[in-house]
Amino acid sequence: MTEEKGKKKISILVFSTEKISDPAIDLAGLLKQHYPPEVDNISVPCSSGIKPVWIMHAFERGFDGVFIAADGTDCPFGETCSEKTAEIVSRTHELMKEKGIDPAKLRMAAICSVCSQAFVKLVKDLADYLDETS
Amino acid sequence: MTGQTDKLEYDVVVVGGGIAGQESALNMADSGLKVLLVEKDLSIGGKMIHLSKVFPTLDCGACITTPKVSETARHPNITIATNSEIGDIERLPDGSLRGVLIKHPRYVIEKDCTGGGDCEEACPVIVEDQFQYGMVGRKAAYVPFSIANPRVATIDIENCILCGACERACPADAIDFTQKIEKREVIAKAVIVATGFRLFDPSIIENYGLGRFRNVVTSMQMERQLVPTRPYNNVLRPKDGKVPDNIAYVLCTGSRDITLGNPICSQVCCMYSMKQGQLLLGALPMADVTIYYINIRAFGKGFEEFYQGTRDMGVEFVKAKVGTIEEKEDGDLILRYEDAQEGEVKEAEHDLVVLSVGMLSNPEAPMMFKGGALELDEFGYVRQVDMLSNPASTNIEGVFVAGTASGPMDIPDSIASAGAASAEALSFIKRKA
Amino acid sequence: MKSRIGVYICECGSNISDYVDVEKVKAAVEQEEGVVLAKITMFACADSTQQEIVQDIQEEKLDGMVVASCSPKLHLGTFRSVAERAGLNRYNYVQSNIREQASWAHSDKPAEATEKAIRNVKAAIARTRLSVAMTPSMIPSENTALVVGAGIAGMRVAIDLADTGSKVYLVEKDHFVGGRTAQWGELFPTGQTGTEVIEDLYREVGKRENINLYTGCEVVSKSGSMGNFEVQLRIDPRGIGSGDSTAVPADFEKRLTHAIDACPVVVADSFDFGLTERKALYLNPGGLPGLPAIDRAACTRCGECVKICPEIDLDQKEELLDIKAGSVIIASGFDPYEPKEGEFGYRQIDNVITMQQFRRLIEICGERLTFGGKEIKSIAWIFCVGSRQTGALEGDNKYCARYCCTSAIHSAVVAKKRFGDIQNYHFTRGVRTYGKYETIYEESSSLGDIYLQSFEDDPPVISSENGTTTVKINDILTEEKELEVEPDLVVLVTGMVPRAGSTIGSIMKAPAGLDGFFNEVHPKLKPVETVIDGIFLAGTSQGPKNITETAMSAHSSAIKTHTLISKGEIELEPTMAIVDRTICEWCGKCSEACPFDAIDEVKEDTKSVAVVNEAACKGCGMCLPVCPVNAVQLKGFMDSEIEAMIDAMSE
Repeated sequence: MTEEKGKKKISILVFSTEKISDPAIDLAGLLKQHYPPEVDNISVPCSSGIKPVWIMHAFERGFDGVFIAADGTDCPFGETCSEKTAEIVSRTHELMKEKGIDPAKLRMAAICSVCSQAFVKLVKDLADYLDETS
Repeated sequence: MTGQTDKLEYDVVVVGGGIAGQESALNMADSGLKVLLVEKDLSIGGKMIHLSKVFPTLDCGACITTPKVSETARHPNITIATNSEIGDIERLPDGSLRGVLIKHPRYVIEKDCTGGGDCEEACPVIVEDQFQYGMVGRKAAYVPFSIANPRVATIDIENCILCGACERACPADAIDFTQKIEKREVIAKAVIVATGFRLFDPSIIENYGLGRFRNVVTSMQMERQLVPTRPYNNVLRPKDGKVPDNIAYVLCTGSRDITLGNPICSQVCCMYSMKQGQLLLGALPMADVTIYYINIRAFGKGFEEFYQGTRDMGVEFVKAKVGTIEEKEDGDLILRYEDAQEGEVKEAEHDLVVLSVGMLSNPEAPMMFKGGALELDEFGYVRQVDMLSNPASTNIEGVFVAGTASGPMDIPDSIASAGAASAEALSFIKRKA
Repeated sequence: MKSRIGVYICECGSNISDYVDVEKVKAAVEQEEGVVLAKITMFACADSTQQEIVQDIQEEKLDGMVVASCSPKLHLGTFRSVAERAGLNRYNYVQSNIREQASWAHSDKPAEATEKAIRNVKAAIARTRLSVAMTPSMIPSENTALVVGAGIAGMRVAIDLADTGSKVYLVEKDHFVGGRTAQWGELFPTGQTGTEVIEDLYREVGKRENINLYTGCEVVSKSGSMGNFEVQLRIDPRGIGSGDSTAVPADFEKRLTHAIDACPVVVADSFDFGLTERKALYLNPGGLPGLPAIDRAACTRCGECVKICPEIDLDQKEELLDIKAGSVIIASGFDPYEPKEGEFGYRQIDNVITMQQFRRLIEICGERLTFGGKEIKSIAWIFCVGSRQTGALEGDNKYCARYCCTSAIHSAVVAKKRFGDIQNYHFTRGVRTYGKYETIYEESSSLGDIYLQSFEDDPPVISSENGTTTVKINDILTEEKELEVEPDLVVLVTGMVPRAGSTIGSIMKAPAGLDGFFNEVHPKLKPVETVIDGIFLAGTSQGPKNITETAMSAHSSAIKTHTLISKGEIELEPTMAIVDRTICEWCGKCSEACPFDAIDEVKEDTKSVAVVNEAACKGCGMCLPVCPVNAVQLKGFMDSEIEAMIDAMSE
């Protein structure tokens, strides 16, 4: 086993949704589409129910980045989901600025239930960004 | 019938406790019907419970079956009779079906046995284990396999020497050598035949040398080497225990071969061979795997993608019919085959050859019916009389067929077929009510 | 706080333990606060393990339970029921997904996969500590199903459900039922015609009073959820009477025929895939119901037909119908793949047609097989057009369309038997006549059909010069390799693709898979279910199938729907929003955010507060983040639980 010593691994918290994006993350595993193992996941019913305080809590507890794998237009609860999730992100960006956290450390994208490749690419991109800026 | 006592009454009798039988039984039971599930083996679970991982998702076979087995076993509307058969099924004038349930003795009291295995330890007799396809031994007193349901011991009376060691060892006093065959009359509104398939026995193909050449194995033997409950905990070739590094798969062994009396395709061998190829490359990263095929039948949802993935992983595909297999002194094997692309006969050396055996019909299905009343198709499978609308209907009203009893099929198709059998049976019962 | 938690770490055979060091996971979590027991199991879902867990819960008086195994999408229900059998509330059980999201996702990095699994299990334990027992709510459900699509799948589902006591709305977008099967002649292997199969099903539908069939009908919108969907349907006018058969005047049919003749508008007939033309007032061959319909997109309202047949009403208006249904079955079928212009000569070379066009051609051409005035004596069949598009074949359809090999060979055999003296050349990519369908391949070979197979990266090439069409192939089975055929007709064996322009998926929120067909939850565990509770799939909407397989899928869908809706009540997850009235200072934002009108203003002694209507709340949580004073929480996803999970993961 080759362990990289010294530099701390970048950690990312993903908020996924039970019906839509979490299945895509499962699919990434099934297809062995690898992504950084320091990506943890909490699944909630809908991305427009994620509270800014949860995201801020993750940053406070040392997560380097947060990624919201949103329902997008596939949301089973209604058409307004994308808009509402975006609203949560922009409000949290404000809170992050107040605390001196780079808003680019919080990202969101709609991840459909089979969009495993998109998920892998986006969390890798975020990890790369965090790696560069850390 | 011999001095019959009380008769049993159910809405439906499902014959066969494999994946199709379980799925049918659960569908009926969830609809509120009373189901008797008859299984001739010691455990329900059929062939699927013995599989390693299953295509195209590579879920483990047990991950799909064991919870179904468990759900079937504890469903309040399902009664399970293992080690049992049903015979003499006939239609009565009132439209109901009657048969005789024959329960063979286990010589173990099922309700008292805890499956602890003390009897197994005490038993001095060692025989071949049929659940490991002859690759390892077992005792004459034994629990069939680790994830069996019911997990209850049995005495293999054929091989038992009646020494009584098991009886003395059993802490639950569950051994009972006085058990006899029990026969009960059963009445049901519908019967679902889910008796599954037989595996082709390739030892009749002399040119392939199964039995003579120890490094020629069947795909089911290989399957058992790849499962978590595997006998050797590693992939080894039988002759010398060497780890193989150049493995060949011979597809269509016993299928699409009119000279063997089986002209049809078995539907699953291409896919399971590719799956085994992928698993082998996972277990033995340095090994070469070559699949000799006539046509690749990757037709189901996600199958073509699986085929492409198998090629990308490095499994070799050679379009060829293998003619003969010969053994070298060191146990390696020489395959002679006609290469379809180059149009010439070639030879290749491998250190392990897997014969991808196909499916054959189960002759037990028609034997359950009085006077052989259940019609079969030209391949010996249960005939589907309304294939395009009601594919589970048979020539006997109230009798339906599920899974591979009606023809070769993979697991997703067997489950769909069980859906058809249970839906047709349910509609039939409701229409009559 | 739960303080007697049992943790089970599953090896999943070797699926998990090959990459995740389960011993290490166990060692890392067994000292966690509240954990009294940690075990490794080979198969947590096996019956013997389930019994062991039940025993542990009872003997060790466990008040919480974690199973670290596969995705909760597979076995959450399994372990919840284990908990309940032992007398533990199912919501005190938490599943940790260390297979899809640790061992498999990070099989390239076993040490890190193990660390991730440890974090994941610790988070699950933290969540379990704070979990509270909840009771699912039971709501009355409609024993009514909406079946979308009246092809063989939809009619089959409707008949089954009607027989088992449900009310069925069967809606068909076209003015005629039967879907694709209505277009086919002789079918394999029974020899029945498509029309006969459809007639049988239509007759059976008609016999059942509890089936309401609407043709020309589309789903407009859906709200509500499992057990109580509210769906709006739009019914396009047929333009002719109401089809009341008791009042049909004697000469009605004759006048209708004349009216069709009188219609001056001519359009391509999609029933014949554009091989023929029809009028704006039309009746498909064998069309059911057997009453013509007006193609409103084409009709110029000239009134010629009305002059002959006054029963025709050009002013009929579309109707909207609101219905309630406990479940919805999507049986919307497939489209044949439409080749791009120039793909294997399609629409550039005159005598290149699709297999579906060929099926219509042999039904309409009479006693001699002719195309474009020329008698057909030889046919080249080009397989896998629009399917298995890998390597040299451009396109996104990676999948095998399953039915086309058998269907093409059967079509070739039918043509040969019906018209005699036809030479078929099959340009295949490996023939996939699986199972018993092998017999048609053998039959065609014995009738003299010739099979050629192209290399994977070298598809056949079709060209045309001076009225002669040539198909060239680099055949893998012959020594000279390069072969040429000059057929009278080229048939592109086009596969199945998802229905173009169908809105049913987006209305029902049923997700599609990578192949574009609707996705089942799991091919073996839940093959006809979608991730949206109460929405089922039947037939080719889920993926390519032949007719028998479609029937099996439809029956399966029917029995799964039956077990869901026939009980009259449905269990709903208790995940619901709750408002802390001591904090709430009614501002209305949560109510605005709620898509289900589930939050109302209630006046209390000194102030107004928000109150959640539990019967309407769907538990999405949209009301949570909008509250300016953080007074709203979601049961099962409380701030304390989420934060405890984050804390456990970041330790």
